[in-house]
Amino acid sequence: MNELQYLIGVIIAMALATYFTRLIPFVLFGTGKESSLLNYVAKSTPPMVMMILVVYMLKDVNYHSFESVYTFLSIAITIGLHVYKRNALLSIVTGTAIYMFFVQM
Amino acid sequence: MIQSAIKVSLPIMFGFVPLGIAFGLLFQDLGYPWYFASLMGIIVYAGAAQFMAIGFLSVGLGIVEIAMSTFFLNSRHMFYGLSFLESFGNWNLRKLYLIFGMTDETYALLTTIKVPKSFQKERYYLYITLFSQIYWVFGCTIGALLADILTFNTNGMEFAATALFVVLLIEQWIMVRKLLPFIVGFISSIIALVFFLDHMLLVAIMVSIISIVLLRLIKVNHYE
Repeated sequence: MNELQYLIGVIIAMALATYFTRLIPFVLFGTGKESSLLNYVAKSTPPMVMMILVVYMLKDVNYHSFESVYTFLSIAITIGLHVYKRNALLSIVTGTAIYMFFVQM
Repeated sequence: MIQSAIKVSLPIMFGFVPLGIAFGLLFQDLGYPWYFASLMGIIVYAGAAQFMAIGFLSVGLGIVEIAMSTFFLNSRHMFYGLSFLESFGNWNLRKLYLIFGMTDETYALLTTIKVPKSFQKERYYLYITLFSQIYWVFGCTIGALLADILTFNTNGMEFAATALFVVLLIEQWIMVRKLLPFIVGFISSIIALVFFLDHMLLVAIMVSIISIVLLRLIKVNHYE
């Protein structure tokens, strides 16, 4: 097996494995109309996952350096701006620009 | 509808393009032709897994091992589909693509946005998902192509993903207005962080879903 065959094999295997994980619930549960518990889980999952994703993004911050100060300051600005204007793009771009300014300073 | 989909998906662009560029740059170090970075963006389309693959490819790990690792790394997506069982519509090519395109970012966005009444939901979802993937493939390609000449300092741009999730968390709060799922999510994250650092995302999502099911069952029995 040469180099490119290996790479293409890997890409195909990864594509199948990834698609499989995303497809499973649709195959298992159909449209989910029959179960109220499933409905409840489906409704509760987005807020739970969003909370988890935020914690996940913060887990690798180095809490013994200024990085943590920059991170939380940028998050505070993002939250403040978003509560004030409710413009997702504006909040994200501003927060990111401020964070980039801090870390490149 | 297309304009609206582009506008709504712009925050994803800010996350995906720099992240895709970072992937392309690293991928180029492996020495393969640049278009394989694009190909991965097109047919694998999974951020974390693609970064993981760079490490695996560089040591020549077996295909089966790579497939298994990809499956476990992405198995959190199994729970994402639960939120779209109905709203992705009937089985057709569009639904297959919507399922294919469900990354952390698109999941977060699609579960948070309100679809305007005049739009057909599945179609609107399709555009958002498609544009998101275009941003990603664009980033992967640019990174791989410009590996040698790129000088723009992207340091810190990864914060865009954090900012996106923070903003969507606020939007979720405005929509849901119930503390319980947020608390369950937070506690599950902490438990997963303390005990399963390497698989934090998957463990946190599993713990949170099991907890919310148990809480619901207890509550239902309580009222009956």
